[in-house]
Amino acid sequence: MDIETQRKWDAASRSLDFFAWGDDHRLGPHKRRLFSKIHGATLMVAAGTGNDFKFFPPSQHIVAIDISPEMLGRAAKKAAAYQGTIELRVMDVCELPFVDASFDTVVTVCTFCSVPRPVVGLRELYRVLKPDGQLLMFEHVRSKIGPFGIFLDLMTPLSRHLGPDLNRDTVGNVQKAGFRLRREENVYLDIVKIIEAGKG
Amino acid sequence: MYFVIGDYGAGMLIGALTALAVRAAVWPGMDMVIAMLLGMVIGMAIHTVLGLLLSPLLGMFETMLPASVIGMYGGMLFGMRDSMAAGSQTLTAALTVGALFGAIVVLGIKVYDHALRGAVVDAGD
Repeated sequence: MDIETQRKWDAASRSLDFFAWGDDHRLGPHKRRLFSKIHGATLMVAAGTGNDFKFFPPSQHIVAIDISPEMLGRAAKKAAAYQGTIELRVMDVCELPFVDASFDTVVTVCTFCSVPRPVVGLRELYRVLKPDGQLLMFEHVRSKIGPFGIFLDLMTPLSRHLGPDLNRDTVGNVQKAGFRLRREENVYLDIVKIIEAGKG
Repeated sequence: MYFVIGDYGAGMLIGALTALAVRAAVWPGMDMVIAMLLGMVIGMAIHTVLGLLLSPLLGMFETMLPASVIGMYGGMLFGMRDSMAAGSQTLTAALTVGALFGAIVVLGIKVYDHALRGAVVDAGD
């Protein structure tokens, strides 16, 4: 378990919901559209305070993991309110205890901006995903547009102390981990993206 | 409509405050490079603080991205302009120019966003 990362997100858990209202209203419909594709045994990585549980389709069984016990403590009430079952477990995405090919769907929301070793974490997701499974991601990445890219690079040393990196190449990392990209969609500029991938 | 008004309002506020702060810190005849860098630092400080305050209401990226362009690049522009004594003569004019710059940036980003939205890769195509 990466204790340093765990401590950072334990601290961040106190303020995460404060920033959620605007994003929920602007990005929520896109998340709901993406999550409508969830089927079968599902793993959610980096559940945070459970703010995205309300966008899940009902009647699913979802294992939701996070490295931060404080985050999951705050997520418990939202998990209980979900019309299905959400099992919360403290876990590092880089060291998943599940056997190979355990899940039909893996979901991430603004996760791989924060995992210190993203390709290692994504390889773990590749391992636990079934051969015909799907990876559904809602992530922010570094912009390829000059002024925005420079801004995200400049802000990353600051943002990294409080939370995520702002200049990750998550689409590239997904491919480096062995996934085949099925769909990439821009949600806001070329920064907030829906990424769908599979094993074959 | 709430978010459209909010986006333009936030952009105009950040632009106006950046123009005002740069005008207070840069004087005609100041070295243009120093004025530009000073304007950039002032603009970045303003956009970071205001962006964080407004993002719970308007969304993190939709606030911070336009704010960064207005603060960082607007600060540089206003700094150079003021150092050449080409800046606004009155406080009202400085506020108006800043707000206008903010609104234009927000509009530009909205147009760009509209053009970029949608599938980039679709294996189903």
